[in-house]
Amino acid sequence: MAEKDLVDNIEAASAAAEAIDTASATGADGGAAPSPADELEVPRDTLAVIRRMWGTATGEHWRFAVVVACICLYTAASIAAPAYCAYLIDYLWSHIQRAFAAGETFRVTWETGGREVMVFLGIWTVAWIFYTIQSFTMASFAERLNLKLRRELSDKLNRLPLAFYDRRKPGEVISRATNDLDKVSEVMQRGILSLLTAIGSVTGALIMMFRYNYVLACVFLAFAAVAVAMTRAVSKKTLVLAAEQQRAVGILTGHVEEAYSGRTVIKAFNQEQASSERIHAATQELAERMRATDFVTNVVAPMVRCLVRLSQVILAVLGVRFLIGGQLTVGTLQAFFQYVNTAAEPLTQFSLTVNTMQSALAAVERVYDILDEPEIEPDPVAPALPASPVRGRVAFEHVRFGYDPARPLMRDVSFVAKPGQKVAIVGATGAGKTTLINLLMRFYEIDGGRITLDGVDTHAMRRADLRRNFGMVLQDAWLREGTIAENIAYGRPDATREEVIQAAKTAQVDFFVRTMPHGYDTLLENDAENISQGQRQLLTIARVLLANPAILILDEATSSVDTRTEKAIVRAMEHLTYGRTSFVIAHRLSTIVDSDLILVMDHGTIIEQGTHEELLAAGGAYAELYLSQFAS
Amino acid sequence: MRTLLRFLKPYRLQTAVVLVSLAVNLAGVLLVPTILANMINNGVSSRDMDYLMGQGALMLAAAVVSGAGAFACNYFCADLSSKVGRDIRNAVYDASLAFSGSGFEQFGTGSMITRTLGDVNVIQQAITMTIQMMLPVPFAAVIGIVLASSIDPQMGALLACVIAVVGVIALVTVRRAAAIFEKLQTFIDRMNVRLRETITGVRVIRAFGKERAERERLDDAFSSFAKNAIRVNMLFATLDCSAFLIMNLCEVAILWLGGNRVGVHAMQIASISACVEYAMLILLFIMMAQICALTLPRALVCLERCRAVIDHEPSIADPALPEKPGRGAEKEGEAVVHFSCASFCFADADEDTLHRLNFICRRGTTTAIIGQTGSGKSTIAKLILRFHDVSEGHVSLLGTDVRNLSQHDLRERVSYVPQKAWLFSGTVAENLRYGKPDATDEELWHALDVAQSGFVRELPGGLASRVAQGGTNFSGGQRQRLSIARALVKPADLYIFDDSFSALDFKTDAALRRALAEEVADAAVFIIAQRINTILNADQIIVLKDGCIAGLGTHDELMRTCPVYQEIARSQLKAEELEGLAAEDSAQKGGA
Repeated sequence: MAEKDLVDNIEAASAAAEAIDTASATGADGGAAPSPADELEVPRDTLAVIRRMWGTATGEHWRFAVVVACICLYTAASIAAPAYCAYLIDYLWSHIQRAFAAGETFRVTWETGGREVMVFLGIWTVAWIFYTIQSFTMASFAERLNLKLRRELSDKLNRLPLAFYDRRKPGEVISRATNDLDKVSEVMQRGILSLLTAIGSVTGALIMMFRYNYVLACVFLAFAAVAVAMTRAVSKKTLVLAAEQQRAVGILTGHVEEAYSGRTVIKAFNQEQASSERIHAATQELAERMRATDFVTNVVAPMVRCLVRLSQVILAVLGVRFLIGGQLTVGTLQAFFQYVNTAAEPLTQFSLTVNTMQSALAAVERVYDILDEPEIEPDPVAPALPASPVRGRVAFEHVRFGYDPARPLMRDVSFVAKPGQKVAIVGATGAGKTTLINLLMRFYEIDGGRITLDGVDTHAMRRADLRRNFGMVLQDAWLREGTIAENIAYGRPDATREEVIQAAKTAQVDFFVRTMPHGYDTLLENDAENISQGQRQLLTIARVLLANPAILILDEATSSVDTRTEKAIVRAMEHLTYGRTSFVIAHRLSTIVDSDLILVMDHGTIIEQGTHEELLAAGGAYAELYLSQFAS
Repeated sequence: MRTLLRFLKPYRLQTAVVLVSLAVNLAGVLLVPTILANMINNGVSSRDMDYLMGQGALMLAAAVVSGAGAFACNYFCADLSSKVGRDIRNAVYDASLAFSGSGFEQFGTGSMITRTLGDVNVIQQAITMTIQMMLPVPFAAVIGIVLASSIDPQMGALLACVIAVVGVIALVTVRRAAAIFEKLQTFIDRMNVRLRETITGVRVIRAFGKERAERERLDDAFSSFAKNAIRVNMLFATLDCSAFLIMNLCEVAILWLGGNRVGVHAMQIASISACVEYAMLILLFIMMAQICALTLPRALVCLERCRAVIDHEPSIADPALPEKPGRGAEKEGEAVVHFSCASFCFADADEDTLHRLNFICRRGTTTAIIGQTGSGKSTIAKLILRFHDVSEGHVSLLGTDVRNLSQHDLRERVSYVPQKAWLFSGTVAENLRYGKPDATDEELWHALDVAQSGFVRELPGGLASRVAQGGTNFSGGQRQRLSIARALVKPADLYIFDDSFSALDFKTDAALRRALAEEVADAAVFIIAQRINTILNADQIIVLKDGCIAGLGTHDELMRTCPVYQEIARSQLKAEELEGLAAEDSAQKGGA
């Protein structure tokens, strides 16, 4: 078996190793198994993707050129080696036979074969050098390309409209940037290499075989054709099986998620036995699918090898006859067998390589799809500036808006929030209360009319200038990895520790922070799971307090926090709203009743507005809502 | 490791078959070049055609047997790993069923899902890889050295030396590489975390105008990952290339030594190539094993995570000799649930969550609990159902301490509507029959009517309508009503409603409570509530504050005597409504 096979096999092994990597990486992400169904994916336009990747790789082209050159030279050397080995063996054999004929024994010395052995080592060393150069060049080529794509992606993320994020699950975008690109680097790393070397060595080996003996070469070709046909058939089967396995994984995942989330119900209704049976049936189904997929995927290589060995039996019998007949020598016959191995081993990998390359290209294509997503319109060249200091008068003037412009939600909405006023937004879940926030902050652009801040059209401002004047406290209290102090000072990284503590005190969270192991330097990790929802919300209040914006957007806590914290939140929000224009998504009766303006929302638009008394008197939707939910 | 053996034990025979077929396969693989060498040697010396054909037949046999061995090994390996995977999954899931509430929370739902799915996948793949890539090493080494020695002892010795040297180098490399691999994982995690943050926090980031800062953080994570990934790639490249080099040297050594040995009649010319082939094969297996070994530590971690679940001692277990709960007198006023001096404290907490509770729920009456979020209301329900155990005092059902009953018998008597209405995928009917598998359609419709779930009638499929996982194809309020109906189908002595009316509007809430009152008149009812108007008419209201009972009585009594209750009432209702309420309430009382 030649070195080439080794290389191929190591590649297969490390590919398998990486598959495990990805498996657990995605596993942690909630998505289960590595999806073999991915292999089904085929790029829409292979050539376009390749061309574009070539463009992305600008600056790295020389590396690629080096790699290709090295592969050519390596392949040439590794095809030359067995031929030289044939010569070497025959050379030794003739010396040995001469020695035997003279009744002597034989020893390898520099003159009798030693030099030739060293030349042989030289040929392999040349092959080794080129192989090493291309391995190390390629080791960074793919990751550099990936890094470039990832950077383009992170740049793009800032220019994507909110609509993009609202349409997609976070996991989807994350896996584009991680798993998908990892697949690409794996293929760049190994797929391209093994494909190029395979093409080179198969061609080289076949040429050499035909040079030695065309009868034997034809026999081999016949077997190789059968082997190729079989691998193609099996690889098709593999895709079908992989898809079936993926379905089984999906079913099991569904059952398991459901059972774990509903375990109190299962236990309360004494359904442990039934639930266990349900899961067992799903695991059994999956086990059967996995066995089939595993077997078929792994059977390709032994199958091809077995075929090659059968061909070797015929080749051996025929070959030795040629040897006896003098058409072949010991060396050339053995060299022929080496070429058989060289040409046969890539056959075991071929269909697999093609499949993974296709799926990798499809993965890159998905990344490019994100990069091609429409972007938010750029900020105006001559931006209007908000009044300074901002007073906080916000007005909607005949605003028209719909997430899908063809189906407008708001047709003609107007209202005015005067400086310092409290505006309550009420409505059932799903009535579109966040739509208002989206428009105020220009997370979405309106389709008609205008929104003004102190009389200036917000659309004429730079987004950053506009948003600087708003502070948001949302229910999904987003904190990021970093210390508590860093999180509080998020809007003002230059704030002193005293200012941070002051903000925390006003936000009623100072005491809690002090109970944490490292106080303000406590590291919040993993989506800040180590602190409760209520505390997180208080921290976001402190964050806004420190940034000191003129206008506030608040989402009142509902029931996910305990009472003491809830009280703290109410107090903190009171501090926060003092003297500022505030928009409150209100759940609490007292908040609503006391506000200067109530906006009643339904189906994404404002259906009523006015004060509590006015709206009650009007006897419309608000009155009904109020009576059904808040009174008895 | 011991855990794995435990799961392999039922498949001892199969494991043996895998090992034997692996050995057969490898023997065949190594015999083919041996026989080829014999044929060539014969060809150059005696030119005996019969011998040639005989060896040809032998080679054919070796090829076929080896192929069969490979197929068998492959099949039984796939079978073994998938069965072991299935068994581990089943064991993890079944173990989780016995966990108490806090036992499960200790692991967390997300982690449990990963343990059941992703972790087992890694283990399964590791088993397959071990069989296909690691186990061939010892087999191939032994068979190779034996065959080489049979050609010439010196060749055998050379081969043994090479294998020993390479083996040691491989071990050392694996050790060092494992650390780099582990580090790479932390970079992958960081990349994932930061990406997730950037995406989920996009509104806040933009609101604060921090796009650039976040982008830099992200790029930083990308760069450090790339740097480390390149290191790992370099490591693999080094492995690759050094293997290549070692093979070259090895081949040359065999050629040189082989030439000498042929020269002294110790072996024949064609056997040199056979020895080269043995060496290449064995080195190849060592290299593959090396890469495979890098992934094993992770599989061991996953195995350990599964073991932790399987071996977790449930903190709540059935008594050795469970008492049977009394059938109960089934008469009004009988004590169904009795809390006497019951306290509960979470294992990791300093203070009691519930402190010395005393109360009785009687048949035919409604007991309501009100209190602020976090005051421990839901925990009371969990104590009755024995999802937790009291740390002091007793909770008894129909006169028997719940700890002396089997969990099955206990829960047979109690019907429960959890705070989070959770439905299972299947049909509406399947969900409703959860507590009484033989319930008739009439019973189901009746329960649905009581639970104000008229909407089921309007569904195209009626009772056979599909329910998606978790019931997500129904609205929150519909889920809650279905979950109430499910509880009503189950016959029980006690019905617990844990904050089950919160997603209902006032009208539905009122209608439901009216219908409910008749429905469960001969059982005890226990309602946990947030909204005060849900419980105005309860026979007794327990006011919970910081885990203690701050008041116990009817609404009127509490309004007079209990400041905590008054405060809750005031925060939810405005003064005039309170008055109106009081009036309405007394009017109702008078009417009754």
